[in-house]
Amino acid sequence: MDLLWQTAVNATYAASYMALIAVGLVMIFGVMGVINFAHGELYMVGAYCVVFLYAQENFPFLLAVAAGLIFVGLVGLVMERTLFRPLRDNPLGGLIASIGFLLILQTLAVFGFGRRMGHVPPWTQGKFEVFGAILTYQRLFVIAAAIVLLGALWAFLKRSKFGRALRACAQDAEAASLQGISMNQTARIAMFIGAALAGVAGALTAPLVSPTPYIGHSIIVTAFIIIIVGGVGSLEGAVIAAVLYAFVHTFVTTFFDGVVANIVGLALMLAVLVVRPTGLFGAKERA
Amino acid sequence: MSRKSLDRKISRRKFLGTSAASGAALAAMSTGLSRVSFADSHTIKIGFLAPLTGPVAAWGKPGLDGCLIWADWVNSKGGVNIGGQSYNVEFIGYDNEYDAAKARTGATKLIKEDGVKFVMMLGGDTWPGVQEIAAREGMLFSTLLPSDLSPDSTTLLAPCEVHPIYNVTGVEWLAENKPDLKTAAMCAQDDSLGKPSVATYLAAFEAAGIEMVDEPLFFDPATTDFAPVMTRLLSANPDILCLDTCYADYVHPLCEQAFQQGYQGQIISCTADFYQKIIEKTSEEFMEGFIFQFPDFDDPALNSEGVNFVNPNEFYAEYAKRYGASEWSAVSWEYASIMDLWADAASSAGSAEPAAVLEAMKADGTGKHAFGTADWWGTELFGIDNALVGNWPVVVIEGGKATIKDFRSIPAWWDQHKDLMIKHMTDLGQMWNQRG
Repeated sequence: MDLLWQTAVNATYAASYMALIAVGLVMIFGVMGVINFAHGELYMVGAYCVVFLYAQENFPFLLAVAAGLIFVGLVGLVMERTLFRPLRDNPLGGLIASIGFLLILQTLAVFGFGRRMGHVPPWTQGKFEVFGAILTYQRLFVIAAAIVLLGALWAFLKRSKFGRALRACAQDAEAASLQGISMNQTARIAMFIGAALAGVAGALTAPLVSPTPYIGHSIIVTAFIIIIVGGVGSLEGAVIAAVLYAFVHTFVTTFFDGVVANIVGLALMLAVLVVRPTGLFGAKERA
Repeated sequence: MSRKSLDRKISRRKFLGTSAASGAALAAMSTGLSRVSFADSHTIKIGFLAPLTGPVAAWGKPGLDGCLIWADWVNSKGGVNIGGQSYNVEFIGYDNEYDAAKARTGATKLIKEDGVKFVMMLGGDTWPGVQEIAAREGMLFSTLLPSDLSPDSTTLLAPCEVHPIYNVTGVEWLAENKPDLKTAAMCAQDDSLGKPSVATYLAAFEAAGIEMVDEPLFFDPATTDFAPVMTRLLSANPDILCLDTCYADYVHPLCEQAFQQGYQGQIISCTADFYQKIIEKTSEEFMEGFIFQFPDFDDPALNSEGVNFVNPNEFYAEYAKRYGASEWSAVSWEYASIMDLWADAASSAGSAEPAAVLEAMKADGTGKHAFGTADWWGTELFGIDNALVGNWPVVVIEGGKATIKDFRSIPAWWDQHKDLMIKHMTDLGQMWNQRG
């Protein structure tokens, strides 16, 4: 096993699911101006969709992942309609509401699945070697899915009418509204996509982690570091920061230890904030 | 979320009713209250202050489940005889979520409001929150982690687990039975459970002539992706992979990663809770020979003469019947075994008052530990003789089933190698007089 290549493979996998989560969080903030603290719990709900459908009810893994994507997207729609829309002019209220919602999701997960980790059998144990590093099909699938989904999102934002509406709202909501773009509709789309990305990340990685009702805690901390480094509101920044953070964290974990890696990750965020307070790709002021 | 509930059509009334019930349940959770049976006039209340939710719940909740079996069995036979009067035993659970502040709140409630006579804890990170209350109230507490012991806490006992000291028995057995294995790599979560265990394994490996290929690798307890940890551990090609006292949430993905990254050597770990699920994620061949320290209680070796745990095989069968065999964990029997000691002491003292029970429990310097008669011990390591230490089983997975291979004496190992243990504990700041 080649240590450097293996570490690079591990980092690529980590970057993939982190990018999905961080881009979803940025989508929600960019369009709605809400810091969604329940984003880690949306990841958790996606993971439990796989626990329920694949591990408990024996549905095919891919179907469970697709269900996780759609179900968590729908949860996002519920959040938008019941929490964030009534609090649209009150970003702090939205943040607090999302904290309340994350506790509800955690509690529902405990009621539904118990307090202990969910057990998800591997859908395949296949693996292959690349430059002396071992890559399992499960991890390769996460990497490939992240590339496809983020590529599709990029095309949607750049090429479709709804995508242009989303970008317009993210740049200047008032001006977009004056052009006839419905804020409610764009918020719904952003929330569905943002939540679905977190959900599909949870669903894809469920067999590779130990899903617990509390797994969202560590996920949201990492996601916040990434979007701050990338620039809050920047989708490109979120992807690049996810790659940067994943490689730094994984290499430091491997060559030093996990505790040092966390310190280095936070130091990276602080350094970016000192040198470039808006993050690597952030605009100076959100429109 | 069960399938049944999904299949139901949810009416508005049902939704509101469910919401109200959920709200009430949430309120109950927020107070941490979990009353598990009902008191009558001849009932003694015992506090169960442990993580019932969260990542450490595997070392709390199964213990409470085991206690419920213990209480049902004891109460069905008339209860505990104390001073000529029979008393039923009621457990009052409080979920401390492995949080020191919540443990403090829980201890106060159990003592002041519920009037418990004895409090059982997992200990570890939660003990500092309780220490002052225990000293002030003179309440008798037990911990599964004797690294909590210190001369400042005279009413804290470690009457069952001698974590992590018993880990030396697994390493000793490994060195004797697989002498060709000479190198080891180790990882642990960076917390009060992981560090003393690392010191213990380092001492045990050194005593056995097994060389560490690298410094122990500590990881953040919030870690979810264990691939980098395992990559680092395997990079030096160790003969032995030591998983220290990692929580079940870590042991499972660590084993899975070792399997996926092609490791084929020996694994040793303090625990292998829910090991059937690890086998499902890896393979029976991969897990063959896995060494750990906690037997399934259907093991016939537990029927041997020296074992004091009452009806271990029947206890396991009842546990499997109520909760499922795959729910059996390292602690399923431990709190129940502590209750055996407590009941014996309360009977002989003729009182359930904490001071009287404590005195009776330690009266002749020995106690009936689950795995045989043991000594109250610990001054050199903990500053106080409040740990009940004797034999401990070495368990190996064979053909997909945990099997007791031997019972080994911890004091015998200590007599030979105590300097090594003290050295490594000191190096990691884990001696009783080094802890803050």
